[in-house]
Amino acid sequence: MNTLRRFGVALIMIWMVVTLTFFMIRLMPGNPIFDAYQTLLQQGVPSQQALVQIHILYDVYPNQSVVVQYLLYMWHLLHGNFGTSVVYTGRPVLPIILAAAPWTLLLVSIGLTISFFIGLLLGVLIALHRNTWFDNLMSQLASIFHGIPNYITGFVFLYFFTVILNWFPFGNIYNPAIHPGFSYGFVASVAYHSVLPIAAYVFGAFGTWTLSTKSAAMAVLGDDFTMADRIRGLTSEQQLEHLVHNSVLPLFTGFVLSLGIMFGGAVFIEETFSIPGLGYLVATSTAQRDYPVMQGVFLVLAGAVIVANFLADTLYSRIDPRIRV
Amino acid sequence: MVISAPADTPRRRAPSSGVVGIFLSRPMRVVGLIILVLYLFMAILGPVVFPPSVALVANPAKIYQGPTWADPLGTDFQGVSVLAEIVLGARGVLMVGVGAAFLIVIIGVGMGLMAGFTGGFVDAVLMRITDVFIAIPQFPLLLLVATILNASSPWLIILMLSLTSWGGLARAVRSLTLSLRERDFVEAARGLRLGTRLITTRVILPNMLSYVAMNFMVSITGAIYAEVGLLFLGITPFTPDNWGVMLHEADGVSGALYTSSSILYVLSPMIAILLLQAGIIFVLGALDEVFNPRLRTGATR
Amino acid sequence: MSEIALSVNNLVVEFPTDSGPLRAVDRVSFELERGTIMGLIGESGCGKSTVAFALLNSVPTPGQIVSGQVDYPGVGDLLKMSDEAQRLFRWQHVAVVFQASQNTLNPLRRIDEQIRELATAHRMRDPKALLERADSLCRRLRLDSRRVLHAYPHQLSGGMKQRVGIMLALLLQPDILVFDEPTTALDGLSQESVLQIIREIHDEEGLTGIFITHDLGIVSEVADTVAVMYAGRMVERASSHTIFSGPKHPYSQALMNALPRLSGDPHLARGLRGSPPKVIGDQFKCLFRDRCEYRMEVCDQSEPQLIQVAGEDAQVACFLHGKEVERVSV
Repeated sequence: MNTLRRFGVALIMIWMVVTLTFFMIRLMPGNPIFDAYQTLLQQGVPSQQALVQIHILYDVYPNQSVVVQYLLYMWHLLHGNFGTSVVYTGRPVLPIILAAAPWTLLLVSIGLTISFFIGLLLGVLIALHRNTWFDNLMSQLASIFHGIPNYITGFVFLYFFTVILNWFPFGNIYNPAIHPGFSYGFVASVAYHSVLPIAAYVFGAFGTWTLSTKSAAMAVLGDDFTMADRIRGLTSEQQLEHLVHNSVLPLFTGFVLSLGIMFGGAVFIEETFSIPGLGYLVATSTAQRDYPVMQGVFLVLAGAVIVANFLADTLYSRIDPRIRV
Repeated sequence: MVISAPADTPRRRAPSSGVVGIFLSRPMRVVGLIILVLYLFMAILGPVVFPPSVALVANPAKIYQGPTWADPLGTDFQGVSVLAEIVLGARGVLMVGVGAAFLIVIIGVGMGLMAGFTGGFVDAVLMRITDVFIAIPQFPLLLLVATILNASSPWLIILMLSLTSWGGLARAVRSLTLSLRERDFVEAARGLRLGTRLITTRVILPNMLSYVAMNFMVSITGAIYAEVGLLFLGITPFTPDNWGVMLHEADGVSGALYTSSSILYVLSPMIAILLLQAGIIFVLGALDEVFNPRLRTGATR
Repeated sequence: MSEIALSVNNLVVEFPTDSGPLRAVDRVSFELERGTIMGLIGESGCGKSTVAFALLNSVPTPGQIVSGQVDYPGVGDLLKMSDEAQRLFRWQHVAVVFQASQNTLNPLRRIDEQIRELATAHRMRDPKALLERADSLCRRLRLDSRRVLHAYPHQLSGGMKQRVGIMLALLLQPDILVFDEPTTALDGLSQESVLQIIREIHDEEGLTGIFITHDLGIVSEVADTVAVMYAGRMVERASSHTIFSGPKHPYSQALMNALPRLSGDPHLARGLRGSPPKVIGDQFKCLFRDRCEYRMEVCDQSEPQLIQVAGEDAQVACFLHGKEVERVSV
């Protein structure tokens, strides 16, 4: 029942995001479609023909009322029709997005997992060595890394490891000379090209996980059962297990949410390393003013956050016995 | 290995008393303060020390020079002094950062207070709106809005940055308000029929001031990253002197990425951002103590 | 003289603070006879719980046992044992019943899982035997064992959790049980039932234990001997009967006076003003003098030691009883 309610809320949120973006693009000053129509008129195209051209490009009639446009857009969306690209004329948006999504998913999930485990390890170690030089050093480092935008880590990695040291390839996610497929060469090429972007993710994110783990672990260490475990003569391994298990729980929600949020954060790293993922698609379509693609990717990114939110809530009640009903 | 409760008593090198004492108790805090003051000077006096009409003129004879006395950070792909670019960039970056943080705090605190204190239907509506703003991926939304508005004025950028990032603060302020509402002193104020406006501004707000102040500082860094990021991607039109533009050009037109002699030019804007971040973090720790006297005495539980 | 189960000698525990090491426990010595329960009483912060932790060498960080011996005859000085030996000693020889308000059970493990962990930790080959023992203990403590053993801690009520705590403490058949304010956080009814259980076990098996509380009424019900602590020092030790019929130390007297009685004038119950001092460094005066109504000149000049009261089964650290007695400890 609860799950059903959460699912409903998630659907409503997605609808709100769709509506918000639609009206934002249509109603803001500098409406791109209207601009394009005006440009065509100025170029001397007869208004009837201009309307047809706009219709082919954007799938809307500029003189239609906004409400009709909105209902039409929603109708198409419900049928999986995200419109067609303006720049790559006639190419539907959905396949473009679906081709980009796997690369983002690959980098984000691996990068997030690695940074989570590094953060978990460091956070627990810091909490166990509270008020030592290790704590002071690592906590400061973690707070500084926590705030570093990943375009900086990405840029530094790119510059040092490709320009100066020449250890890694420059840009793209695989060697274009290799035919994509589940061959050893292709997978190896992808892995080789992924090292730097993933490292950039990890460096941008492990500080956050370290800090959250630290505060969660400190809270657990202050709990009475930690003291009792020791007095009951449990082994260090058992005590550590209890500490880690209890510290991970409050991080779980954040971890799942991050999976959704990092899809959107992928923009910089994908742009820096020229990886054809969703973030890159957002950046290029924005630069080219390709509105249907922009809008489509944007919906997918927002949807990822909402879905992650739904998953986090639903899954959490399954791993914490205190929430279970 | 011994697994035990953490010590609650951090040992201080010197007994800390007053704001000055809190800063002096850890050398890093003094460093942080010095960094922030330095940036403030750069923002205010930058154009006096390096008049843009002179300092930013291209000089093909000096492209990618190493550090000299005249140009301690070397020169860029146009032969312009990197130091001058960094110093002149500070004003725009800081202004956008502080301005956006200010607006974020106003919107976030306003929404959170209203939702938390009024409750009921208003709360439900405001929080759903907040949820949508949290769910929308901030940076892509920023890209979208920036493109549509074709934003070039710093004020527009400030507005965009704050409109896309107040959600988290609003949520936190709402739950703080909810917990404060149940406290005795707020109950007492309500018993006296002091009125919503008076209670929220005079009773509840002062009690979350420390949290809001910390959030303000964190928002500054967040806004700066986003602003520099926008310029880095080349989405917002150029303002000639900004660290983000330096990064954008380093990544693109300058060809800096094909030569290692550009190292100072590539690293300088990044280090400028990181130093600012470090300064804010160091000072943040001190602020935390100023606002929470509990941390100062280090009393055991 | 009966058998000694525990002898503590000159125990000193310090906590580092900004202004120097805080003496939480200062030169405390006592012996515990097998088959008896010693009540350890005093205001909160007087060091009684710290003594309990020290008996297991588990003083919470940053506290430290600075000097002294915690000798268990037949086993030796706990403080000189290896870490692993100390770990196995804990709970097998000395177990603790914690304060009920404390959540001393891991919230993410069922009770039976926590019992299995105890079996593993204490190198028992057959965890099933331990579960069976838990089962029979549960029945004895009037707990529905099938429900309780499969429950998570949050599914148990406060009174049930406390009985589970007693069950866990008895599980490995320890020589000595430490009760750390076991009834403080319970409501009256659960309090009475927990006390009754403790009395039953004591009567049936001759429990050896230390009962820490600030509730004198409870001490009079369960303890054979009583030790009073003040500001980290032991100020009086006597048999339960002796101390309740005539406390010697002014502080013990004040504690007794603060106790409201069922019979007699309730207005006679008087609270004790002020609070105990925090002791940093050596003191060469009586620590109670500021709150004492019998304050004398000597109290400001030297520190009273715990000495035998002539002709009585009591020791007291007060100059009022200085003349008619001989020194026993440091």
